[in-house]
Amino acid sequence: MSPRFLLKPKLSYSFLGVVLCFFIVYPLVVDAELSYLVYFLYSTFIYVTLAQGWNLAAGYTGQVSLGQHAFIGIGAYMTAITWRTGWTGYLDPLAMIMSGLGAALVAIAIGVPLLAKLRGDYFALGTLGLGEILRVIAINGGSLTEGTAGISLPSSSYVSMHYYYYIALLIVVIAQGALLWITHSRIGLALVAIREDETAAAANGIAILRYKILAFAVGAFFTGLCGSLNAYYVFHINTTGAFSLNWVIVPILMASLGGAGTIWGPAFGAFILAGVYELANIWMPELHPIFSGSFIVLVALFLPDGLMSYLTGRKDRILQKLPVFHWMFQKA
Amino acid sequence: MGKKWMKCGFWSVCFCFIFACVLASPPAMARDEILIGTHNPLSGIGALPGAEQKWAYAQAVADTNNAGGIFLKEEGKKLPVKLITIDDESDPGKAAAAVERLIKRNKVDLLLSGQVGAMGTLPGMITAEKFKKYYHGGIIWPQTFLEHNFKYCTMYFFDPATSGDMPFEVFNSVSEDQRPKRLALFMEDSFDGKTMGDIWASLAKKFGYEVVLRESMGMGAKDFSSQVMKAKAANVDAILSMANTPESVTLLRQLKENKVNIKWYQGFKGTWPNEFWTALGSDAEGVLLDGFWSEDNGYPKSKELGEKFYKDFKYYSVNAGYYYATADVLFQAIAKAGTLDSLKVRQTVMENEWVSANGPVKYNEKAIALFPMSDLQWRNGKHVLLYPLDRAKEKAEVMKPWDQR
Repeated sequence: MSPRFLLKPKLSYSFLGVVLCFFIVYPLVVDAELSYLVYFLYSTFIYVTLAQGWNLAAGYTGQVSLGQHAFIGIGAYMTAITWRTGWTGYLDPLAMIMSGLGAALVAIAIGVPLLAKLRGDYFALGTLGLGEILRVIAINGGSLTEGTAGISLPSSSYVSMHYYYYIALLIVVIAQGALLWITHSRIGLALVAIREDETAAAANGIAILRYKILAFAVGAFFTGLCGSLNAYYVFHINTTGAFSLNWVIVPILMASLGGAGTIWGPAFGAFILAGVYELANIWMPELHPIFSGSFIVLVALFLPDGLMSYLTGRKDRILQKLPVFHWMFQKA
Repeated sequence: MGKKWMKCGFWSVCFCFIFACVLASPPAMARDEILIGTHNPLSGIGALPGAEQKWAYAQAVADTNNAGGIFLKEEGKKLPVKLITIDDESDPGKAAAAVERLIKRNKVDLLLSGQVGAMGTLPGMITAEKFKKYYHGGIIWPQTFLEHNFKYCTMYFFDPATSGDMPFEVFNSVSEDQRPKRLALFMEDSFDGKTMGDIWASLAKKFGYEVVLRESMGMGAKDFSSQVMKAKAANVDAILSMANTPESVTLLRQLKENKVNIKWYQGFKGTWPNEFWTALGSDAEGVLLDGFWSEDNGYPKSKELGEKFYKDFKYYSVNAGYYYATADVLFQAIAKAGTLDSLKVRQTVMENEWVSANGPVKYNEKAIALFPMSDLQWRNGKHVLLYPLDRAKEKAEVMKPWDQR
């Protein structure tokens, strides 16, 4: 039988189902509290969501944001403050949704002036400034944010790794599903049109600002959700951790590595880069930033459009070897 | 359809295999060593003390192993200690991830402290607590430690509320005519700076000193001339300051440029590193500096440790002996407990009194052990111990005017 049958969407979804089943079942068959793979998957799910949040605004719409740490921080602080004041509880879905919505509202509020007036590098710098502004506000937030000391949450509330893992999995499935839906709808077409040629898109009747804000806010919503879950996981929120630039850089690297502007590229990139970081940490703990950094430089030099573009760009050779992934690499 | 599912299964197995290879834990073998895990900031803002901490832990491990290791009653033999160190990059998220990796992948038996309170130690402690592994901690404020009601952690550090006495006791140790009359507080704009400033302001009253000026120092600021001019106008004769090294260097330089002569400059946090002396030279002469430890404190191994440190780093440490003591107390406790059970080792740590390079260590019922800070003075590029008063061999000296240096 020819391997072409593997390109059929039905089979591809079956493959996805098998992978999802693995993610669901694995923590149930091992000791989740002591399994490092469970923790690795949990943190990678978070990064996949962050990378996809960035991908929607930057990869699909062409609005490169460097302010993802602002949305993580908003999500984390909203969760910590509402929990501490007794309005919400431990792993409270209401707090998580509020945190996501809070981040989305800030994205809309900041997006209206920024996305209307700024483009390209200037928009990126504007969003970077947002993170810094919020960090300083949190430092000077008095008893509400506890300044640089941060907010301590009751770590004795911790029950099980299972909760965190499955919530992270649920978030990543919803984020991936939302991205699939958006990119396969008229909204997705509008976003790509904006990315490719804003003037032409406007001339064709697309409400540029509205769609840009939509992409930015949806990305911020999922990023805020991740900030909320992270607050529940670390039990201590401070400005250094919540507004760390790592929340910006790592997801961008992941999305770029896999292929920004593709549906599955950021997820693929997140798993690859997280794996590379782990290997580097295990084999060369003192030098791992050099190894990881070199890997990123090599990818940027030889695969500027990400691994997905390499794979899809040479279908005759690569797809014969990896046909089952073909459906994942298609650009919207 | 069957073949399709076989293909699917094949790719799925490959997928899972890659993860399993990447993250597989070392296979369980018969115990032939004691695995201790730690996370040090070997890069980022905490890299300097992180390097000292790593060095001191390695010395404690080497000394223990040179003595044949630790006798474990439950194993019926002496076992060497193996220390696994992960760089937490001075980042709270990475500190938590490092401890998670140490527990779950490296399968360490017990954990040794990281650095810098909320940036490293606290996230490390929270992670250890979640997965029920004993974390023998330090470098965290007692108040922050108590907020979490830890069952698997202990802490060994100083209390800013009680150690705030130190500068005033040093002032009281000199003759009356040399004591300061008009104090100024120059505190960095941070949680630590505000906390310490409040403590000093209230203690000054208790010791009978007058605070005539309190100024904030922006972290990373390059100009303190307005604060210096205010000090000049207020006729200040002593400054108590908490700030990082670059800010402390700038402040001293601007005091000199503006000819503001003071009798005393007590620095916290920023005046102990060698870089402070290198940057200021003779202008740093007489500046008081805080330390967690001094090689002149007369406790076991202190002198030897200080000499070894100078040989390796070519400068004097005010921390190494404290880090050494943290590790040494854990190793003594493991030997006494005869087991690596987290709760039993913690219980043993808390129930006994230990002696190491930083003096006696006694934990209270809240799992906190405190040590008195050391106060030292820069003299010819060296640290001279002034406090604790009962361990000091010399008295504090007033700073010379700038034009007489």
